[in-house]
Amino acid sequence: MPLMETDFNPNRRNVLRLFGLGGAITFLPAGFAKAATTVTAPEDRAVYISASAGNNDDFYVSAFNAQGKILYEQPLPGRGHDVGLRPNHVDVAAVERRPGLYALIMNRHTGEVRATLKSPEDRRFYGHSVYSSDGRYLYITENDFDNARGVISVWDAQNGYKRVAEFDSYGMGPHELHLLPDGEGMAIANGGLKTHPDFDGRTPLNIETMEPNLTVISRKTGEKLYQTRLKDDWHKLSIRHIDVTLDGTIATGFQYHGGLNDEVPLVGLWKPGGPELQALEAPDNVQYRMRQYCGSVRFDVSGSVFAISCPRGGVVTFWDAHNGKFLTNIAAPDGCGLAATDRKGEFVGTSGLGSGWRMDAINRKRIELPDDSLKSLKWDNHLQRISA
Amino acid sequence: MPLFDTGCRRAMAGLIVTIAAGLSAPPAAHADLPDGQYHDVIVHLLSKVMPPQLDALHSSTATLATGMSDFCKSPDKAGLAKMRDGFNDAMDRWQEVQPWRMGPMMANGRDQLIEYWPDKHGTAARQFRLLLRNKPPLYTNPAKIADASAALQGFPALEEVLFDPKLAGQIVAKDKDGVYLCQYGTTIAGNLEKLTGELVAQWPAFADAMINAGPDSLDYPTSKFAATDLYRALHEGMLIIISQKLARPLGEGPDDANAKRAESWQAERSLRNISHNLKSLFAIYDGELNGAGESGKGMVALIGADSLLDRSFRLNWQKIRDASDALPDSMVAVLAQPGGFDKVQELENQVAYGVMLVENDVGGHTELGGGFNALDGD
Repeated sequence: MPLMETDFNPNRRNVLRLFGLGGAITFLPAGFAKAATTVTAPEDRAVYISASAGNNDDFYVSAFNAQGKILYEQPLPGRGHDVGLRPNHVDVAAVERRPGLYALIMNRHTGEVRATLKSPEDRRFYGHSVYSSDGRYLYITENDFDNARGVISVWDAQNGYKRVAEFDSYGMGPHELHLLPDGEGMAIANGGLKTHPDFDGRTPLNIETMEPNLTVISRKTGEKLYQTRLKDDWHKLSIRHIDVTLDGTIATGFQYHGGLNDEVPLVGLWKPGGPELQALEAPDNVQYRMRQYCGSVRFDVSGSVFAISCPRGGVVTFWDAHNGKFLTNIAAPDGCGLAATDRKGEFVGTSGLGSGWRMDAINRKRIELPDDSLKSLKWDNHLQRISA
Repeated sequence: MPLFDTGCRRAMAGLIVTIAAGLSAPPAAHADLPDGQYHDVIVHLLSKVMPPQLDALHSSTATLATGMSDFCKSPDKAGLAKMRDGFNDAMDRWQEVQPWRMGPMMANGRDQLIEYWPDKHGTAARQFRLLLRNKPPLYTNPAKIADASAALQGFPALEEVLFDPKLAGQIVAKDKDGVYLCQYGTTIAGNLEKLTGELVAQWPAFADAMINAGPDSLDYPTSKFAATDLYRALHEGMLIIISQKLARPLGEGPDDANAKRAESWQAERSLRNISHNLKSLFAIYDGELNGAGESGKGMVALIGADSLLDRSFRLNWQKIRDASDALPDSMVAVLAQPGGFDKVQELENQVAYGVMLVENDVGGHTELGGGFNALDGD
C-alpha cells in the first residue's frame, strides 16, 4: 500500500540523506493540522525535538508529537546532542556533540536549515547551547583545546549568527549551560575533563587531576559571578548536566570517572549565592542502579520536582527540588532524553532503544507513547519540548 | 602483546574500565530474541542457582558465629586455627555471592556492610586503632553492632581480629585487649550471620520481581531489561577484578606493587577470592554453580549452548581459570616470588581479554550490553 504523505516511512531516511543538509523535508503540516483540529489540551499539541540516530551511522534532528508520531527528520552531518530553543522564534540550534565542528540553526516546525555555524579551527563545540531571553544571542559551550580551557562563544542571531565574542567558562570541559531566571546570569557545568582532537576529542586525559565546577557568569560581560565545586574526594565526578528552575535553583547530574563500586553522590542542588553545591544520594538499591552516570536533568513545570536520567542503569530518578530528597524512580531502558510537560511532576522521556514514555513522578506511573513511528529511531541524550 | 605491561599500568587499567563501562562502540546487534528466552534465564539463575549459594553463605556465617562464641570461652591456638578455617569457609561462600550486585545485595549498603572494601582512605585501620584504644561497648553488643561504622562490622574487621599476628596472640593470651577483641570478633560473626540471613530472606521477593517483569512493572518492564542486571553482574564483576583486585596491588609496576592493597591480604587469600569470584561469574554465563542449576541454562542459553561462540568462550574462559589456578592463594606470597608479578599480571591480561569477549560476544549477541545512550552517551 502506498504511503500517505503524512505517514512516516523510515525508508525515506535514505532519501533524506541524498538531499543533504539543504534538503529539509517536512512531514509536519497535514498531520499537525489534523492534530490541532482534533485535540484541545496544550500538552496534546506539544512537539518534542531531539537529536536522533538511525542504524547506519545516520544522524538527525527529529520532532515528534505528544503521541510519539515522528513529524520530521532533518539529517545531520554528524551525531547531534542537544537543541537550544530561541525564545519567540522558529529557530532552534542543534550543536554537534563534542568534539563538534558544526551547529545548525533550524526551523523548529519543519527542520529546515536556516544557518550553519562552524567552530573555529582551534575550538570544538561541546553539544549544548542556549539563547538569551530576548533571542538576540546564542551561546555555545566550546573547548579551546590547545589551552585546555573552556569557552562560551557568543553568536549574534540577528546578524546572520555572526560570532561576536567568547567568554571564559572558568573551567575545563564546559558542557550544558542555562540562563538564570534574571536572564543575565548564565550557569555553566564545567565537567572538568581535558580532551584534545589529537586523542579523538573525547577520551579524558586528566582523570587524576580533573577539577569540575559549576560556574555562573554574566552573559553580557563574561564576568565570573559565582562558582561552586564538590569536595576534593569527589573530584572525579564530572559535573555535566544542569537545569535551572524559576527561583534560580540549579539541579545537576554527575558522571563518575572512578571505580564502579565507589560510593559517590551523582546528583546535586545549588542556588548561586547560597551554600555550596549540595550532593544528593538515592537509597542504596536505587543509587547502584544509576551506574555512576547521569545523562540528563530536567525540572518539571512547577519547579518542585526534578528528574535525572541514568541510561546506563536504565532508570529515571525523581527528586524533591525543595529539600533534595529522593522521591521515586521509574525504569526506562536506555532512557536519557527528558522534557517537562505542562503538568506538575510529569515528564516525557526518550530512549536510545526507540521508546518514549510519559512519566508521572508523583503517582509513579509510566505510559509508553503510543505511536510506533517513534521506535524507528534511537533517541539521543536530550529532549526539548515546544508548546503549541 | 599483553594488554597490561609494566609502565603506565594503572592508567591502562583505568582506561580499560572506563572504556568498558560505557565508552566503547556498541557491538553489532543480533536479531531480536523473544522476551521469554530472557525470562527463562532469569528464572534459572535467580531461583535455581543463587538461593543455594545464599543458604551456604548464611550457614557458614552461622557456623562461624557459633564457633567464635565457643572459642572465646577458652581461646587457644588450636581454636584460633579452627576459627581461621571457619573464616575462610565463609569468605569462600561470600566471594561466590559478591559479584551478584543486585537487589538485596545492594539494598541498605548491605554488600559494604558485609565487606567494606576497597578501603581507599584506610578508614578501617584508623577506626580499628581507635577501637582498640577506647574499647567501646557498642562493638561487643550484638544488638548495637549494626549501628557501627561499616568498616568495623564485616569480614575485613573480622580478618583483622583473627589474622593479625599480634591481635591473634593477644586473644590466645587472654589479656585485656584479647578478651575484648574476641568478644568483638564474635559480635562481627553474629552480625554477618544476621546480614546474610537478610539476604536469604529478601532474595525471593527480588527474584519474583525480576521473574514477573512486564509492562506493568515500573522496575522491570521486560525480561530483557531485567536480564541486564545479570549481564552487568558478569561484566562489572570482571572489571572489578581487574581494576580493584589486581590493578590496585600491582600498582605501576614491580617496584610499586604492594600486596597490602589487595583484598583479604592479611588472611593471605587475595587470589583465592578472585578464584571464587571467577567461579561465580562463570555460573552467570553457564548456569551451574556448586551443583545448583544446570550447565547451558545461564546466559549461554541466549547465544546457543555448544554453539561455536559458546565453545570459543569456554576455551577462553579456561585460559582465565588456568592463569588463576597457577597462582597461590596469597598475593603476599606470589609478589614475594621472582616472577610473581608477571604471573599476576598474566591473570590480569586474561581477565581483560575475557572482558572484551563478554562485551562483544555475550553482550552483542544477547543484546544486553547496553543501548545507544548507555554505551556512548555524553
